[in-house]
Amino acid sequence: MTAEAEKLRRGRALPISIPWERIPWWVVILSIVGITIGWSVLTSEAYLNVIRFVMGGVRLTLHVTFISFAIALVVGLIFGLMRVTKNPVLYAVSTLYVEVMRGIPLLVIILYMGYVITPMIRDATGGRIDLQGVPAAVLGIAICYGAYLAEVYRSGIQSIERGQMEAARSLGMSYIQAMRHVILPQAIRRILPPLGNDFIAMLKDSSLIAVIALPDLLQMGRLYVSRTFRAFEGYNTVALLYLVLTLLLSLLVRTVERRTAIE
Amino acid sequence: MSELIIVVEHVYKSFGHVKAVVDFSMEVAPGEVVVIIGPSGGGKSTLLRCVNNLEPIDRGRIIVDGVSVTDAPNINEIRAEIGMVFQLFNLFPHLRALENITLAQRIVRKRSQEEAEAIAREQLAKVGIPEKWDSYPSQLSGGQQQRVAIARALAMNPKIMLFDEPTSALDPEMIKGVLDVMLDLAKEGMTMVVVSHEMGFVKAAADRVIIMDYGSIVEEDTPEELFTAPKEERTRQFLSQILH
Repeated sequence: MTAEAEKLRRGRALPISIPWERIPWWVVILSIVGITIGWSVLTSEAYLNVIRFVMGGVRLTLHVTFISFAIALVVGLIFGLMRVTKNPVLYAVSTLYVEVMRGIPLLVIILYMGYVITPMIRDATGGRIDLQGVPAAVLGIAICYGAYLAEVYRSGIQSIERGQMEAARSLGMSYIQAMRHVILPQAIRRILPPLGNDFIAMLKDSSLIAVIALPDLLQMGRLYVSRTFRAFEGYNTVALLYLVLTLLLSLLVRTVERRTAIE
Repeated sequence: MSELIIVVEHVYKSFGHVKAVVDFSMEVAPGEVVVIIGPSGGGKSTLLRCVNNLEPIDRGRIIVDGVSVTDAPNINEIRAEIGMVFQLFNLFPHLRALENITLAQRIVRKRSQEEAEAIAREQLAKVGIPEKWDSYPSQLSGGQQQRVAIARALAMNPKIMLFDEPTSALDPEMIKGVLDVMLDLAKEGMTMVVVSHEMGFVKAAADRVIIMDYGSIVEEDTPEELFTAPKEERTRQFLSQILH
C-alpha cells in the first residue's frame, strides 16, 4: 500500500489521530488514584493533623537526601575513577573502600557514625569538630552510597568503546583530559538511569536516620503515632508522602535524562 | 636522502603468546607515502599503533621526528604531531562535527575558540563537507564520519598522518570520497603511513609498498616493481588473492 493510501485510510477511520501508544499510562493511572486519595486525605481533619505534624520531617528528609547525594556523587566519581586506573595503589584503596562499604548495612553505618565516629572525633579534637546530628547522618549515607555510585561510574566508564580513549590520546590529550572531555561526558549520560535509581533509593533509605533520633519524615510519623495512637492515619500519611517525594524525584530524573540526550 | 621522519628499528610486540610484530624495521622520509598491505592478523594495525605509542612496544626503538617514542618525556607532545585515522572513525558521539575538530585544538594546542573554529571550518571544507559542521556523528554517513575524523586529525597540523584501514568499514559508494581526500593529502606532500588494501590508492599515491605477514616484512618496493615483478613467492600468493 502506498503511503498516500495509508494516510487516506487512517484519516477516514480517525479524523484526529491520538497517539495512544505514546501516552504515559502509568502517570495517568497514578494521577487518578493520587487525586482520589489526595482529595479524601486533604478533606479529612485527621490526615491534615498528621501532615501538619510531619511537614518539618519532610523538609529534613529532603535536606539530608540532597546533600548526601551531592557528596556521594563526588565521592563515587573519585573512587570510580580510581577503580579504572592502572595505578595499583589507587586501585587497591578504592576496591577496599567499595567492598567494605557495600558489605555493611546502611543502618549499621549510620549507628556507627552516630555513636562511635562522632564521639571519637569530638574527643580527638577537643570538641572543635562535632558531627552530632545531621552531619553524622549525611556523612554515613554519603560514604555508603559513594561505594555504590563508584561502581556505577566504573561500569559507565568501562562501557565506553576503547576507540574513544585511543582517538583522544592520539590527538595528544593526556589521560585526564581525555577522561574529562571525552569519556566522562559520554559515561555520565549512560549512567543517568542507574544514578536516578540510587537517588530514589537514597531518599527511602534516609528514613534510617530515625535510629539516631533525627526528626525526619519517618521519625515524625512515629512520634505522631506514639502520641495519638492513630497508627492507621499516621503510617498511611508517611507512606504516601514518601511515595509523592519519590515520584517527584523520578520526574526530575526523567527531565534530566531528556535534556542531556544526544539528538 | 633528507633527514628521516620515522625510524622503526627491530621492533617486537606480543600480546601474550601471540607475536604481533617481529623484528620489524622501516624508515620513512618526509613527504613519503608508505602503504602497508598484507593478510589480516599480520600485524599491520599493531605496527601503526606502535608508531604513536598507543601500543607500547616490547623491544626495539621507534624515533619520530628525532624523538624516541618509547621513552619520550612527554608522549602527548609527540602524539599531537602524529595524526591518526581509525577504521571505525572513533568520532566523539556527544560532540558536533565542529566540536570534534576544535576540542583537541583548544586543550592540546591551546588555541582560542575562534581560531580553532576557523581552522575546523577550513578543514571541513577541505574534506568536502563544510555544511555538516553542526551535525552529530550519528547523523552522518560512514564516509562523512571518516572525513570529519580526517579533518579532526589535520586540524592539529600534524607532521605525519597514520591511516589504519580507513575505508574498510565503509559502504562501497562511500570509499571514493575518503580516498580522494587522502590522495589530495598525498599530493600536498604529507608524510603518510597507510594500512589499506585499496589498490587504486596504492597505485596512485604510494611511493613504497610494504608487504607484511607474521609480524615482519615479506617484501618492500615501489608499487610498480612489486605488482609487476614480485620477488617473493608469499607476495605473489597474496597479490593474486587481492588483485583477483
